[in-house]
Amino acid sequence: MVIKHMIEDDCADNGIRVPNVRGEILSLVVAYCNKHGPVQNDSEDNSRSDELKTYDADFVKVDQATLFHLILAANFLNIKSLLDLTCQTVGDMMKGKTTEEIRKMFNIKNDLTPEEEEEGLIWKNLVVASTPEGEEEFRGENQWSYEIW
Amino acid sequence: MSRRVRRKGAQSKDKVISQTYSEISYSETSHLETKRELDWTSLPDDTVLQLFSYLNYRDRANLASTCKTFRVLGSSPCLWNSLDLRAHKCDPSIASSLASRCSKLQKLRFRGSDAANAIMNLQARDLREISGDFCRDITDATLSVMAARHEALESLQIGPDFCEKISSDAIKAVGLCCPRLKRLRISGVREIDGDAINALANCCKQLGEIGFMDCVNVDEAALGNLMSVRFLSVAGTRNMKWSSVSLFLGKLPNLVGVDVSRTDINSTAVSRLLSSAQRLKVLCALNCPILEEEGNYGVYNVKGKLFIALFTDIFKGLASLFADITREERNVFWDWRNSKNVDKDLNDVMNWLEWVLSHSLLRVAESNPPGLDSFWLSQGATLLLSLMQSLQEDVQERAATGLATFVVIDDENATVDRGRAEAVMRDGGIHLLLDLARSCREGVQSEAAKAIANLSVNAKVAKAVAEEGGISILANLARSMNRLVAEEAAGGLWNLSVGQEHKGAIADVGGVKALVDLIFKWPSGGDGVLERAAGALANLAADDKCSIEVAMAGGVHALVLLARSCKFDGVQEQAARALANLAAHGDSNGNNAAVGQEAGALEALVQLTRSPHEGVRQEAAGALWNLSFDDRNREAIAAAGGVEALVALAQNCSNASQGLQERAAGALWGLSVSEANSIAIGREGGVAPLIALACSDAEDVHETAAGALWNLAFNPGNALRIVEEGGVPALVHLCSSSVSKMARFMAALTLAYMFDGRMDEVALVGPSSEGISKSVSLDSARRMALKHIEEFVLTFSDPQTFLAAAASSAPTSLAHVAEAARIQEAGHLRCSGAEIGRFVAMLRNSSSTLRACAAFALLQFTIPGGRHAMHHASLLQKAGAARILRAAAAAATAPIEAKIFAKIVLRNLEHHQVEALL
Repeated sequence: MVIKHMIEDDCADNGIRVPNVRGEILSLVVAYCNKHGPVQNDSEDNSRSDELKTYDADFVKVDQATLFHLILAANFLNIKSLLDLTCQTVGDMMKGKTTEEIRKMFNIKNDLTPEEEEEGLIWKNLVVASTPEGEEEFRGENQWSYEIW
Repeated sequence: MSRRVRRKGAQSKDKVISQTYSEISYSETSHLETKRELDWTSLPDDTVLQLFSYLNYRDRANLASTCKTFRVLGSSPCLWNSLDLRAHKCDPSIASSLASRCSKLQKLRFRGSDAANAIMNLQARDLREISGDFCRDITDATLSVMAARHEALESLQIGPDFCEKISSDAIKAVGLCCPRLKRLRISGVREIDGDAINALANCCKQLGEIGFMDCVNVDEAALGNLMSVRFLSVAGTRNMKWSSVSLFLGKLPNLVGVDVSRTDINSTAVSRLLSSAQRLKVLCALNCPILEEEGNYGVYNVKGKLFIALFTDIFKGLASLFADITREERNVFWDWRNSKNVDKDLNDVMNWLEWVLSHSLLRVAESNPPGLDSFWLSQGATLLLSLMQSLQEDVQERAATGLATFVVIDDENATVDRGRAEAVMRDGGIHLLLDLARSCREGVQSEAAKAIANLSVNAKVAKAVAEEGGISILANLARSMNRLVAEEAAGGLWNLSVGQEHKGAIADVGGVKALVDLIFKWPSGGDGVLERAAGALANLAADDKCSIEVAMAGGVHALVLLARSCKFDGVQEQAARALANLAAHGDSNGNNAAVGQEAGALEALVQLTRSPHEGVRQEAAGALWNLSFDDRNREAIAAAGGVEALVALAQNCSNASQGLQERAAGALWGLSVSEANSIAIGREGGVAPLIALACSDAEDVHETAAGALWNLAFNPGNALRIVEEGGVPALVHLCSSSVSKMARFMAALTLAYMFDGRMDEVALVGPSSEGISKSVSLDSARRMALKHIEEFVLTFSDPQTFLAAAASSAPTSLAHVAEAARIQEAGHLRCSGAEIGRFVAMLRNSSSTLRACAAFALLQFTIPGGRHAMHHASLLQKAGAARILRAAAAAATAPIEAKIFAKIVLRNLEHHQVEALL
């Protein structure tokens, strides 16, 4: 809603500057807000929410640079839903990746000292590689069907 | 094959699309910026923290280890105020290493008594909430130290497993150490005495909620001293003196909610409690047998107080609390959660009710008492679904577990109640469960996946799950790094993969690869995850196309790994079944040979036929049966000691299941295709058990045994053994009275092999005195056999059509005869050149019965459309059989059947010749 007002202002004055946000990115943000803005929040229309879900899913199918700038823009313009969406998207990209894979994917330079790295390793190995214990005992509610060829 | 290539193409096309898309936006975004220049570490701290908050611990740790910036942000206390260690092993040294992150930890969940001992090493002195489950062995010492080290504790919850080693001492210590305690829930304590309760009453002035669930003895009088308590649950607790309970509880000034579910409370105590406790708002008494028997429901109607039982309308009762905001009773939970102006007291009541309801419903679902069908159908299922949308994570989880549990009405036979499963589906449960499964919280993911798995035993539900996109969700969860999640997801895929229509869908979303990877990820990860993964792969491998995918994903190696090295029966069984199914596609793909070539595969399967577990023996024998289809495998199985093992299995399966009997016979049938194996089987004593199996009433068993005996009888030594072991009467019986045409056919062929004269050469070698009596008994056996072979052949001949065929020899009349004589399944039998040669020779046997039988057999083997008809025709051609067949067809003395059948074989040969030319 904040942005809705901003956009309206923006359009009316045709002169409000949004520093730090590129035009191309801003047009994406405007498109996003137009899609999300017009309908009031309390409308409980399922088909609408499904439609938005699909829209969102397509919206974030962009390259890393765009995503990066969308996060900055959403943060700067304080559009919570867009920030959630974009951060979630980046988060999803990181899920299940190793440290090295994340570095490669996001071009992050390893500037950790060997000691720091070591510490990280311990922490990681302990949480990552630890096998869950085998003592859990489910109460037989799992039932399987068999199929015979 | 073509399908796979096409899908590959489609995939790369997808990629291209998104690439071009990104290229476009790329050039739009900037001219200079390449991926190289993006500096993700320059993002504002807030956004990075938000990013972290979407990740689980593992992913957080990985991200935090990439660089300095993220390392610092990743250790921000705000990211570490809650820790769920349930899926992780937690010993003291691991816990110590986590300590650096835990200084501000507020909330901790753990699993198991070992973890309970270790969490002190987290040094999380600021902990407010501790919740542990599966702590059967937790001791007084552990609990006391836990309390002493966490003085700021506000909520302590240990259960729902019974803490039988906990005594009043530890409860007292909790009271003395944790003055800020607001909530205490503990299950299955043997005794909670007045001392302990008084310590809580005296030291914990803010203690608002107590749950002493499933305890054996609780001091009722002391309960009356808990002045601060607003909510009390004694659900499942025994030996309560109800007459005095209501007296003591009635004195508590703040008591708002009481839960006496699953106890032996009676209506007098209930109505006294309702009337004496002044501020009491809710009394929950689910599944209290005495109340349910007593009836007399009118006494519970006390103004301003809500009474909840299985026999009350729970939704209506709850809606009465929200008369102003709820329009539809069934939506009461939803309306409450979405309403902003509910007063705090009512919120507390509802949160507590969610907790006690989910707890008791799960318990009731577990014990599954009879007579609750109508409760579950009319409101239980809906309640669980409502609770599943709770904002309390553990309520959500428990409700999902409850759903997984209440639909299973018979653990032994894996029966999922149709009505209950469909009730869940009707109420939109599938959608809800899939939403939960998609959430980012692993505890909920695994419980939701478990519920989906159990519900999917019902075919209708399985269909709905597939239609709502559940297959790809489950495949995703199967890739989880959390073993508990992956395990339940694999279970879901297992149950879904039963449906032929879902197999392709599972493969399409990469489920096959995910399942195979599970095996590599946790090769010694306990039986649960491996059994489910192997079970799902077994079902998938039953489909020709999926079986190729399984092999491509490395499934052969993975499954052989399990068969070789896993020690759990259930896993061995499913791995063997999967290998059996992989090898079941015979010549349509190369998996059969591939399994045999995997190092140690055949040895492992042979070894598994000696398992003490019947299911394992059965599936291993089934796998060897299918694998022996391949020539090389067959010899390798024999070399690995398969003959001895399978003969031993056949000898010891007289009391086993039909499935095992069938597969034991089948594996011997498969091996006996080569004469060397046949001889070995006979020598090892395989004939007698096969005859015994041939006497089985079960069609599948005696049919398979007949097949094995047929192969064995090719060898004259074995033929003699069959006679000696009393096989003739058994075969004669099969030949004349089995309901299976195939069994009758193969029994007749066995007898034909036995008495076409070759056996005599062996039989007469021996001491001459015995020789005479032997030949006498052989003679009578032969007469009996021939008589039944003749009768068998005659059952396929209708005199009228035969006469017509003989008179006209027009193609149509022959076709009529052929159609009437055809045994459909015989088309699957494949004979070697030697066997075909033997039948050709039999066409000139002195016995007219055997001549007719041979012609009949060749007719079956060459009928156009049979799987191996072409193969047999070319063998006949090579053997120069046409001349002999023509002679047989024209012979003056031959019985009419032999002549007509021979004519048909000739016609079949012509057909194949033409086909070959085309």
